Amino acid sequence: MPKRKLDPLPSAAFQILLSLADDELHGYAIMRQVEEQTGGRMRLGPGTLYSSIQALLEGKFIEEVDGPVDPRLQPERRRFYRLTSAGRRLARAEAEKMADVLRVARARKILRGDYV
Amino acid sequence: MSEKMYARLLRLYPSAFRKEYQCEALQLIRDRARDETGLFNKVRLWWDLVTDILTGLPQAYGNSYAVPDAAPQSANAQRVPSFKVLDREPLRPGLILVAGTLSLAAAAAFGFLLSRPIAYLPLPGSNGRMSPIEAVLQRLNRAMDPDSAMGGHRAVATAVSTGTSDPQARPSAMATASAPKPYALALRAENKNGVGMGDRVVPIQMQNLHEQSAERAMAQRAFEAQPQREGQREVGASGNALANGVTDNEHLDSAERQRVLDRAIANVRQYYFDRDIAKNTADKLLAHEKAGDYDAVTDGAVFADLMTRQMRDASGDMHLMMEYSRDKLPDGPPAQTPEDLARFRAFLEQNNCFFRKVEILPHQIGYLKLDLFSEPSICRPTAVAAMAQLNNAKVVIFDLRDNRGGAPDMVSLIASYLFDHPEYWYSPRSAPAEDSWTRSPVSGNNLADKPVYVLTSGSTWSGAEQFSYDLKMLKRATLVGEMTRGGAHAGVFHRIDDHFGIGIPEEKTINPFAKADWEGVGVEPDVKVKAAEALETAVKLAEARLRKP
Repeated sequence: MPKRKLDPLPSAAFQILLSLADDELHGYAIMRQVEEQTGGRMRLGPGTLYSSIQALLEGKFIEEVDGPVDPRLQPERRRFYRLTSAGRRLARAEAEKMADVLRVARARKILRGDYV
Repeated sequence: MSEKMYARLLRLYPSAFRKEYQCEALQLIRDRARDETGLFNKVRLWWDLVTDILTGLPQAYGNSYAVPDAAPQSANAQRVPSFKVLDREPLRPGLILVAGTLSLAAAAAFGFLLSRPIAYLPLPGSNGRMSPIEAVLQRLNRAMDPDSAMGGHRAVATAVSTGTSDPQARPSAMATASAPKPYALALRAENKNGVGMGDRVVPIQMQNLHEQSAERAMAQRAFEAQPQREGQREVGASGNALANGVTDNEHLDSAERQRVLDRAIANVRQYYFDRDIAKNTADKLLAHEKAGDYDAVTDGAVFADLMTRQMRDASGDMHLMMEYSRDKLPDGPPAQTPEDLARFRAFLEQNNCFFRKVEILPHQIGYLKLDLFSEPSICRPTAVAAMAQLNNAKVVIFDLRDNRGGAPDMVSLIASYLFDHPEYWYSPRSAPAEDSWTRSPVSGNNLADKPVYVLTSGSTWSGAEQFSYDLKMLKRATLVGEMTRGGAHAGVFHRIDDHFGIGIPEEKTINPFAKADWEGVGVEPDVKVKAAEALETAVKLAEARLRKP
């Protein structure tokens, strides 16, 4: 059921997976990371962010983890999220799909640049 | 402030979502508000929140919010049913109100649909002869061959043994026919000179038919509808019996008026299918009598017309009618002997059952000139042969310009060739019954999808009008010619005395096409031309149609 919800993978979910590739992040940090990695094009609102997180949790593509317990750095208790191996596979599969598209676009001279 | 407003907006989200993420969502806004200062950033934040509501809501409702653990699976592994609670909060009063209103509206709409006339299909067993279950079983078991009768007045040839009928003449489908039912017969009143009186034709209820041969009755029924100009009077004992009336004095006295009125009222009360309308009609007639409306009427025909108008006004039923005949009405069905029947059969056979012409015109246009819908018990083989002859036609023209009606069974039988599925075949004379559908498809028949033209004239009448009307209403045929004569003559005739009778509808009929049938007005052709030019016009239309790719 959750698999069908994420197939095709919505871009918000994909960006969240990518944002978690290196580090465990909480919601706001994910939002900022996504904003950064998309050059400011995608600013996830709380509704989209947490709905996507919930869908990814239900699909076991990410999991919740305890964040650092440092009251000086993090005065509020926050939920942190981590990519699971399934989530990593999903992100890779999606990225490869996009690479295919990119290859075709370049072969058809729609996009300049080298073959990926 | 923005946090409070957003908290309100969050109420649009599912409660499970709020329970899980409300704090995080508000925290995120706080974080953004803290980091993004300045008017532009504030506006952008709000813009983001509004678009987020629009884009995030569907996904928020798409999630299940189930705790992603293995508990349900283990329960299933033990084959124990598990239940998921979708919403733990009680329903809000507003929601209950909306749902309740919608349910009531749906129930009301369903009730309204049920009350539509099309839903009224009385089971044939409702008169007590057959239980509803038996009726349904009979309908299911009915043989699918092209024989049908109009309005449940199916002939019962198999119940009859006259010794004269050949087995071929018996329609096979009649094996399933029900018990005899009184026939509605159209009797032609004649004067002493033996000339038809034209329009004064009324159906006669033939009581006690079960004592007679049903086949004889059918024969007579078709016979009575034969065109007078055929001049075959010597073969009709029944016709002679009808002609024996004696012209009486035409003046009504008050005593006779009273007697006629009383018996008419009694008949309406007893036989009309709707008790309330019957009572209302009877009361109106009594009121007219009390008001002295009839005192000056001394002419029988005027009296009958006046009563007819008043009954129709009171009931709104155009099939209620008072009939007056200057000649003595017959007492009942005349006795018929096997010799009469044999003569009748010979008469039909001599006339090829009134299939006057069956031809294939140039361009493969089939042409059938039919002057009488003859009794299928005798003429069925002729009809089947005629339709087989037309089977390869690309267009069929039925010439009914000289057709005066006849046996309803034959009307329905021929119509069966024009459909590829059983089609409801409306009869103005009777309520829908198990045999109110054509016996389509007819095996081996190619005409079900071929264009049909029906030629009509001012003489086209009765059963021929039913054929024209039903095909026109079903958009199955193009009618070419003149307005037909207008004889649906529904209702059963009850004799009041030697000169008066009353026609009373005894069954509620359902016209699926319109409020009124063609009684008194005729069937309007689609292409109006003089009857003499109808064939030529129809051929041209057919040729033009065949030329189209």
